Amino acid sequence: MSLITLLFCLTVALYVAAWAAQALFLVRGSEPIGRAGAMLLAPAALAHIAFLAVSVSDGGARLSDIHQVLAFGSLLLVLAFLGTAWAYRSRLPRVSVLGAFITPISLLFILLAAFHRGVGTVPDDVRSMVLPVHIIVNVLGETAFALAFAVAIAYVLQERQLKRKKLTGLFQRLPPLDVLDTLGFRLISVGFPLLSIGVVSGALWAVRLDPGAPPITIAQAFGLLAWLMFGGLLLLRVAAGWRGRRAAIGTMLGFLCTCLLLVGYVIRTGPVTGG
Amino acid sequence: MASDIFVVGLSFRTSPVALREKLAVPSAELADAITRLKSEVALDEALLVATCNRVEVYGVASDPSAAARAKSWLEKPLGAGALAGHTYEQTGKEAVRHAFRVASSLDSMVVGEPQILGQVKDAYAAASGAGGLGTLLDRCFARAFAVAKRVRNETGIASGAVSVSSIACDLALGIFGDLTGKRVLLVGAGKMGESAAKHLAKQGAKLFVLNRSRERAVELAAACGGEPRGIAELPSELALADVAICSTSSDRFVITQDLMKEVLRARRHRNLFLIDIAVPRDIDPRVGDMDGVFLYDVDDLGKVAQENMAARKREADAAEKIVDGEARDFEEWRKQQDLKPLIIGIRQHVHAQLTSELVKTLPRLTGDKEKDRAALERMVEAMVNKVVHHPVAEVKRASERGEVEVVNAAAKLFPSASAEPKADATGASTPSPAPATRRS
Repeated sequence: MSLITLLFCLTVALYVAAWAAQALFLVRGSEPIGRAGAMLLAPAALAHIAFLAVSVSDGGARLSDIHQVLAFGSLLLVLAFLGTAWAYRSRLPRVSVLGAFITPISLLFILLAAFHRGVGTVPDDVRSMVLPVHIIVNVLGETAFALAFAVAIAYVLQERQLKRKKLTGLFQRLPPLDVLDTLGFRLISVGFPLLSIGVVSGALWAVRLDPGAPPITIAQAFGLLAWLMFGGLLLLRVAAGWRGRRAAIGTMLGFLCTCLLLVGYVIRTGPVTGG
Repeated sequence: MASDIFVVGLSFRTSPVALREKLAVPSAELADAITRLKSEVALDEALLVATCNRVEVYGVASDPSAAARAKSWLEKPLGAGALAGHTYEQTGKEAVRHAFRVASSLDSMVVGEPQILGQVKDAYAAASGAGGLGTLLDRCFARAFAVAKRVRNETGIASGAVSVSSIACDLALGIFGDLTGKRVLLVGAGKMGESAAKHLAKQGAKLFVLNRSRERAVELAAACGGEPRGIAELPSELALADVAICSTSSDRFVITQDLMKEVLRARRHRNLFLIDIAVPRDIDPRVGDMDGVFLYDVDDLGKVAQENMAARKREADAAEKIVDGEARDFEEWRKQQDLKPLIIGIRQHVHAQLTSELVKTLPRLTGDKEKDRAALERMVEAMVNKVVHHPVAEVKRASERGEVEVVNAAAKLFPSASAEPKADATGASTPSPAPATRRS
C-alpha cells in the first residue's frame, strides 16, 4: 500500500469515527462520546493535510482537477468548522454539535475526490488566470454554503422539536433557533458574492475553452439555479424579512444544486469548465 | 470507642410542613443554634441543616446515645414525643451517604434542584463559624460538595426544567439564545404568568405589562419592573414582542388567528414565543400552526415538566452509584483516621525506646574503631530487646492460652520472622545469628 493510499484511508477512517461519535452524541447526548467526536476531527484534519501534502509533492494534486478541488474543499470545510467552533466555544458551546452535519459532507467530498477518472490537460493556448480565480472562489463559496447547509439542517430539526414540544434530548443539544438563523444568513452573505464571481468566471472560461460549445450544460444549469436560489433568499431576507424554516429549506435546496453541479463535473472527463 | 458521624432529622418525606415550620431556623440564627446544639447535646462536632423541606442535625460523638440526645434537642421546643414517627436516624457510612444524597439533590422534592446545595453550603459555613466542625464533619461536607459537583457534571440529573417559570425560560433561550433586550409581554394578572415574566426579566428581557385596567397594569409593572400598556395596544405590542405570556381571566380568545395573521405580516417573520397559562385559554390553538410561532399552553408546559422529571429520575440511578462509591471511599478514609492515634503511639513508643539507648551509648564512644563497634552492637541488641520484649512476651502468653489469632497477627506483622530459617552449610537448620556473633 502506497503512502498516499495509507494517508487517504487513515483520513477517511478518522472522519468516519468522528462522524459516528458526533452523530451518537447528537442522538444520545453522551458527553464523553461528544468530546471524542470533537477531538477526533482535529487528527482527521491533520491526516487530511498530510494526504494532500504528499499528493502535491508527488505532483498528483492540481487545482485544475475537480477531484483534487474536492479534496481541498473537503479539508477547507473541516478547518472552517473547527475555526468556527473554536471561536464560539465559550459564547455558544452547542455550535460544536453542527459537526454531526458537516463531517459527512466533508467525507462525501473526499470520497468523491477518490473516484478519479482522469482529466484532460488544459491546452497551452487557452491557459489564463480565469481558471484559478474560478476554482478558488467556487471552493470558498461552496465551503460557506456547506456550512450554511449544516446550520439549516440544525434549524429545521430544532424548529421541529419546538413545534412538537419535545424539549428533551435533541432540543437541549442543538443551538438556539435565532443563532442558527443569523449564522446561516451570514454564511450565505459570504457565499453568494463568491458564487457570483464563480458563475461569471466560469462562463468566461467556458467561452475561452470552446467558443463553439452549447451556451449552457446541465451541470452549469444547476450552478445557475443555485445562484438564483441564494440570490433570491438574500433578496427576500433584506426586502421582506424572510427567515426561519423557509429560509433554511431554501438554503438546503441551494446547496444541493451546487452539489449536483459538482457531481456533474466529477462524472465527466475533460478539463475543468465553468459553472 | 471511636467517634462516628450520625444524622437525626425530619424531611418532607417523613413529616408534614405544619411540623417542619415549627422547627424552622432563620439563617441569621443558624450559627447560634449550632453553638447551643454542640454544648447542650455534648457533641464533638455539629452541623444543622434547616430548609423548608428538612431539618437535620449532623453530629460526631463517641457516645452511642448522642443521636437520641440530638433528637430530644430537636423535639424540645415542641414537647416530648412531638416528633415520634416523624424522624429518621442514621449512623456511620449511612449518615455520610445521606449527607452526600442531600447535597446532590437526590433526596429533594424536585430531584436535581440546585437550591439545596447552596443551603447545605450555608449550613457548613455557619457550622464552621460557630466552631461546630472537626475533622470528620469538615471532611464529610467538603466531600459532599465535590460529590454534588460530580453528580451534576456526570449525570443529567439537573437537565430539563421542571417548573413553569424555568420551562418558559428554557424555551425562550432555545428560541432566541440570549434574552438580553428581548421584549416580553405579560398579558393579564395571573400569578403564574407574573412569575414566568419575572424569570425572563432576570435574564435581561424588557417587560411590558398589558391589562384591561390601566391601574392594574401600572401596579403590576411596578411590581415586576416592567412598563405598563393598555390592552388596546396588544396588536402593536405583539408586532414588536419576542415572547408573550397570557394569563387573563377572559372567557374568549385574547389572541385570535385573524389578529395573529395581521401581526405576523408586521413582524417580518421573526420568531414569536407564546405562553398561554390561562384556563380557559387566551390564545386560539390554531395560532401555534403558523410559521415562526411557538405556542405552549398550560398542558404543554405540564407535559414538558413531567417528561423532564422522568428523565431526571432515570439519571438519578447513575447518580446513586456515584454517591455509593464516594460513601465507601469516605468510610475507608474514616477507618484510617481511627487508626491514626494507634500508629502515632507506636511510632512515639519505639522512638522513645531507641532514643534512650542512643543517649546511653553516645558518651561511651571513644573514637577507637573496635571499641565503638562493640558499643554500637550492644546498643542495637538492647534496642531490639526493648522494642520486641513486650510483643514477644504477649505472643508467648497468647500461644500458651491457645489464642491463635494473636500468634497469626504477629506472624502477619513480621512475615520474614515466620519464614523457615535458612539451612547452614552443614545442612543443619540454625536461627539467624545475632549481630554480636557475626563478627569474623
